[in-house]
Amino acid sequence: MRKKSLDNKIFLQYVSLVLPGMLIFTVGLIIPLFMAFRYSFTSWNGMTKEMPFVGLENYKKFFTDSYVRDAWAFTIKFTIWNTIIQNVFALLFAMALDSAVKAKKIYRTIFFIPCLISALITGFVWLRMYSNILPKFNELIGAHFNFLLFGSKETVLLGLLIANNWQWIGYWMLIYLAALQSVPLELYEAAKVDGASRWKQFIHVTLPMLAPAFTICIVGITTGSLKVYDLMVSSTGGGPGRASTSIIYLIYNTAIGGRQYGYGSAMSISLVVVLLIIAVIQVGILRKREVQA
Amino acid sequence: MKIKKLLSLTVVPTLVIASLTGCGTQTEAPSASEVTEAAPKEETKPAEEGKEQEKVVLKVLAGQSTTDAGVEDMIDEALAKKYPEITLEWECVDWGKDFQPKMQQYMQSGLPDIMIGKAQDVTTYGSQGLLGDLTGKEYISKVLDAALPGVTLDNKVYGLVYNALYQGVYYNKQIFKDNNIEIPKTQAELKAVIDKLNGLGITPFATHFVDTWSIGNITMQFAINDVFNKTPNWGDKLREGEATFTQSPEYRSAYEYNKLIFDNTWKDETFSLEQTEADARLVQGKAAMKVSGSWSIQNFLDVDEKFEFGIFPFPNQTGDSKLIFEPNITFMKSADSPYQDAIDKVFEVVTNDKELALEIYNYTKTASMLKDVTPTFTNPSQADIDKYASDGNIVDANTGNTQLQWGGFQEENAKDIAEWLQGNITIDDALKAADARKENSKP
Repeated sequence: MRKKSLDNKIFLQYVSLVLPGMLIFTVGLIIPLFMAFRYSFTSWNGMTKEMPFVGLENYKKFFTDSYVRDAWAFTIKFTIWNTIIQNVFALLFAMALDSAVKAKKIYRTIFFIPCLISALITGFVWLRMYSNILPKFNELIGAHFNFLLFGSKETVLLGLLIANNWQWIGYWMLIYLAALQSVPLELYEAAKVDGASRWKQFIHVTLPMLAPAFTICIVGITTGSLKVYDLMVSSTGGGPGRASTSIIYLIYNTAIGGRQYGYGSAMSISLVVVLLIIAVIQVGILRKREVQA
Repeated sequence: MKIKKLLSLTVVPTLVIASLTGCGTQTEAPSASEVTEAAPKEETKPAEEGKEQEKVVLKVLAGQSTTDAGVEDMIDEALAKKYPEITLEWECVDWGKDFQPKMQQYMQSGLPDIMIGKAQDVTTYGSQGLLGDLTGKEYISKVLDAALPGVTLDNKVYGLVYNALYQGVYYNKQIFKDNNIEIPKTQAELKAVIDKLNGLGITPFATHFVDTWSIGNITMQFAINDVFNKTPNWGDKLREGEATFTQSPEYRSAYEYNKLIFDNTWKDETFSLEQTEADARLVQGKAAMKVSGSWSIQNFLDVDEKFEFGIFPFPNQTGDSKLIFEPNITFMKSADSPYQDAIDKVFEVVTNDKELALEIYNYTKTASMLKDVTPTFTNPSQADIDKYASDGNIVDANTGNTQLQWGGFQEENAKDIAEWLQGNITIDDALKAADARKENSKP
């Protein structure tokens, strides 16, 4: 009898803890997802009452649409480069700040400040940097560097990568820094006793101990990059032409600007599926490599 | 184990029910016609007669052009003097980017009482029965007759056009004067002007193609004179299969004029430059001309208030192109709003209060669409505008904009033009792409 009452108490506790989050999650994510799934089988324009059912037409179009293919190609390139650059530099900066560098708190703050700025402002700042500020350096030093990175199809990816990495490296650096500081010193001492060099200590002690941080950073950067949108809004507008149109940018333009809500919904459902697959694969692979101290 | 089972039994139905409820709500969202026909809700009854002093808060969705930000404070101030019981709750958004998405959103949840957009929005939303009829209202009689056709559907007026933008080629008068350059009327004359300017080392055109809307805007300027002026229902013909972009020499010319401009501007920079920078360079004499609209005047005068500039229509092959005027700030009211009287009072204030009208026109540097109100700001291009107007050489931008939708069509075509200018596709590819998306072209 007493056990039953305890079970009920625990159950109520569970429910009271789960319910608020579950409601928010349901209203903000699950319901829209179901609605988008439903719209994806219609040719609804987002305005009329009628939502003509078109079956799998939107999905068929999705697989043959060259704009979708180009947007995915751009998004994947952006994601791969972002994941590599941000992880490498964030780790390097974290290691530098984890050592006996003077004024490291100041550096930490400086690296972190850009990620407090909205991505919209970052885009605008870098548009100005490339078109107005950096070309002045050319005039000052008599050089001819091409700083107009947003101006052509060949350089726009580089321009956006610089802007995005400038903003986010500091954030991921803090995660690596926290992970580095939590590695037990005894492990390094034991490695030293075994005659391990600094490089071997890094490979056999530091890297394995950073595995959980790698999981967080790689999954976070990948999914964040696949969803990039706001940076383009205030900088390239998805251009020149469609050269920097990410998949999210295309979905928004199609569904809202282009009044093809049904097709836009099909695109977003496909994006969710891709994001899920990538996240599951990444977490699966990375978790296997994690070790406990 | 039992607890887990119970928990899952609770969670799963909750999720399913919540999801279905959400879908159901959407299905039952009010349609255009339902919105029109719906009776005012109990809790939102308007002020009854004899209770005029009852406080009313009107929701306003303002889709603004770059010139318009700040107008809302002026209207608030004037309204507070005449009708202190009416308060406007503003939501100001960028017309080009956010007005349509916001309208889409509100069409599901209920429209704001007042919407401020462009005259072309009347075609989009008026045709769905969402807008209130303004026909016969006293304030409509204050509006210039020329502004009414663009906001009239089935003989009913659905928009109060407040100001207008002029579009054409803005030019630096000093450069033209110093180099004895005459205003070109034909393409041949324009090419001669371009050659002369290039010979003098002056960039002929100031451009900012990083803004896709700029390419879309100038292409429509060309098309209004070359396509829609001759075939006003060209968009309908496109949708009916009687006309195509690929088969239309006029539309091809309109695309090719973009190339003419691109070849005679700062090619390397234009896809990185914004409007403010391009406008500033025209004022500074770094370029001689800019295909633009009145939205550039604020920038011109901000850089140099004594800048001397004029305007002429972009020359076409036959030399009969006209200056384009675009009805801009257009007040519309929700057909469903329970506050029809209060909205009428707001519209009465904006049309009757000449001081307010002057303040707005002088601030936005735009032309008046109200009878007997003439802006007093120094507009060096006004003499040119008056000349074209008196000669009957003015055409309404709505001739094109009500035929071809901006979002999803004109905007996408502009991206194709950008791709073509950058050498990624051919002009034929760009024209074919426009034909391929014709189902999205209806406003």
